[in-house]
Amino acid sequence: MSAPARSKLEELGLSATCAEVLHHLWDYLDEQITPSSADRLRAHIAVCPQCRSYEAYQECFLQAVAKLRQEFGAPESLRERLAERLKGQGCGCWNKVRIK
Amino acid sequence: MSFESGELTGPADLTADVGQERTASDVARDIAFERDALPWLDDVYRFALSLTREESDADDVVQETFLRAYRSWHTFIPGTDCRRWLFTICRNVFLRSRERQRPTVDLEDGEQDAVAAGSVYAAAREKGYDDLFATLDLAPALRDALDELAEPFRSAVILVDVEDLSYESAAEVMGVPIGTVRSRLFRGRRLLQEKLVTVAEDLGFHTAGQGTP
Repeated sequence: MSAPARSKLEELGLSATCAEVLHHLWDYLDEQITPSSADRLRAHIAVCPQCRSYEAYQECFLQAVAKLRQEFGAPESLRERLAERLKGQGCGCWNKVRIK
Repeated sequence: MSFESGELTGPADLTADVGQERTASDVARDIAFERDALPWLDDVYRFALSLTREESDADDVVQETFLRAYRSWHTFIPGTDCRRWLFTICRNVFLRSRERQRPTVDLEDGEQDAVAAGSVYAAAREKGYDDLFATLDLAPALRDALDELAEPFRSAVILVDVEDLSYESAAEVMGVPIGTVRSRLFRGRRLLQEKLVTVAEDLGFHTAGQGTP
């Protein structure tokens, strides 16, 4: 996991670890970075209010997206049509498609 | 998953009238199909709808997906991830139905989008929208924003963030390297966040923290 060059960080007014959080927070939240890198980011986030706020913001966003899963599923009309087509294929469990 | 095991009846039901002679192998296939494939109907429908953006098209894609899965059940390896297999069929059905090649997207560095998302956050924070995702019911706006995303980004967000697939599984479904899933996912997330902040502005969303640094 690489951090951006120093001069660029200074322009942005960020510490090296803040910049690392900015670059890799999604990798961190998705558990796509090494445990040692995750530990370093976690330790920094715990003591940096700015990064903690940013982590909370991104976590809320990901939770809001994940909630879409509970929002909707296959409509009854689709279940009926699929049941009939599976029946036409000789599928013995065709009628189970109707069970939601 | 909404397919409650308590609602299922036993194998005797598999003698249901389908107008055909049924062998023991047919019955075994149907038991496995019912147990492993049918519970994912809602999931496949959500993914199909994210691809087609039209309910009637999604219906067609889902029906074709399950019919193909049933006809090709002998190719499914028991014990592997049936939902991932169905997603893969679903995406292939969709792509063929549109008679187009798999979309190619430049493999860009996902970090550019991660940093850009930080800029979106900074701008939202300046306007007092930094707790936007925690305080608003974003589901309707999110669905609209997802609809507006180009297909490769939408698929990545749906598979990883909504359906909770690993990067590896999403890469298999989409037929791309894991790094491409990451870059598409990050682009999709960044674009969604930009759209949601715009929605908040349009709605005149304000918070107590507005104006604070």
